[in-house]
Amino acid sequence: MPIRNSTTRWGAIAQLLHWVIVALIITQFVLASIADSLPLGLAKLAMLARHKSVGITILGLAVIRLLWRFVNPTPTLPDTLKPYERVLAKLTHFALYALLLVMPITGWMMSSARNFPVSWFNLVQLPDLVSPNRPLYDTLLRTHAALAWLLVAVAALHVAAALKHHFFLKDDVLRRMLPFTRTR
Amino acid sequence: MVGFPRTALRAGSLVAMILLATPSLAAAPRYTLDGPRSLLRFSFVQAGAASTGRFGKFTADVSFSENSLPESRIDVTVDVASLDTGDKERDDTLKTADLFDVAKYPTARFVSTKIAAAGTGRWEAQGKLTIRNVTKDFKVPLTFQVKQEQGKDVGYMTGRVALKRLDYGVGQGEWKSTEWVSDEVTVTFSLRLVPAT
Repeated sequence: MPIRNSTTRWGAIAQLLHWVIVALIITQFVLASIADSLPLGLAKLAMLARHKSVGITILGLAVIRLLWRFVNPTPTLPDTLKPYERVLAKLTHFALYALLLVMPITGWMMSSARNFPVSWFNLVQLPDLVSPNRPLYDTLLRTHAALAWLLVAVAALHVAAALKHHFFLKDDVLRRMLPFTRTR
Repeated sequence: MVGFPRTALRAGSLVAMILLATPSLAAAPRYTLDGPRSLLRFSFVQAGAASTGRFGKFTADVSFSENSLPESRIDVTVDVASLDTGDKERDDTLKTADLFDVAKYPTARFVSTKIAAAGTGRWEAQGKLTIRNVTKDFKVPLTFQVKQEQGKDVGYMTGRVALKRLDYGVGQGEWKSTEWVSDEVTVTFSLRLVPAT
């Protein structure tokens, strides 16, 4: 598989970034729901610390992914798409990229607002984005949670579209993001 | 008339001058804390990130003069429940039985037993620190200077010292772990001391 993208297929780097981020986002939902179920204590602290570290990792990978996208060709959408489907596809992809950036940043701001500074896996302490402010924290918490559900909805649409392309339209849209497959 | 010998008079005035010029050896000025203009902060590492807090209420009874160190003394009492880390839930957790246990041990205290010079404008106070009813020998490096403010001698004392929370039992049960909350805590202080009346 080529490292770089072509107009018909995603390259190895783009695929790796896509699937690693998928796995990390699933991890984030698991860590967040475990943390939510725990009372304030050491276990919750540990779970949230991991959630923050993984979130910052996603932020870094998302930035790399966008940069890589800008210096590579993007596989073109199939000609069979209707104009509204084209718009919907672009909107969905834009929303997913935006959420990859906005979710971690709102999480990071939440931590700052609550005076719980963020560290990346105990290795690097990140600067605070805002000053401690409880009402701001409450707003950010609701925003972060709402965006998480928006992400679920958009990702569901993204998955449904990929499956439709694969099983009903029988084109290469899904296959070109999968390693070890051949595109027609 | 028999005059008082002039030499004796001179000698007497010389003694008086010396007595007046020599700083008092016995008394170190006594100060009390200007609470609103003093700070007592602590920092610790939580999940890899340095976090800070402060104690809002504490008192100090300080006698200090660099010329009478044996008479100098520092006595600071902290209202532990006044701790503030900028997050109420964390503060409430810190006050529970497994950590500071403020219901049982409402105060922490440092009392010096000896103050020794440690360079220009610097001293080291040796004494006893009590937290959670655990008392240990403790040394505090500090700076002290007196400034004239509206005709009064105001003392400014600052310092920074590290301690291990587990030495004092701040961390029972799961909180004995130092994986997510560091054992080492750094305490910094900046005290404004006004003459005691």
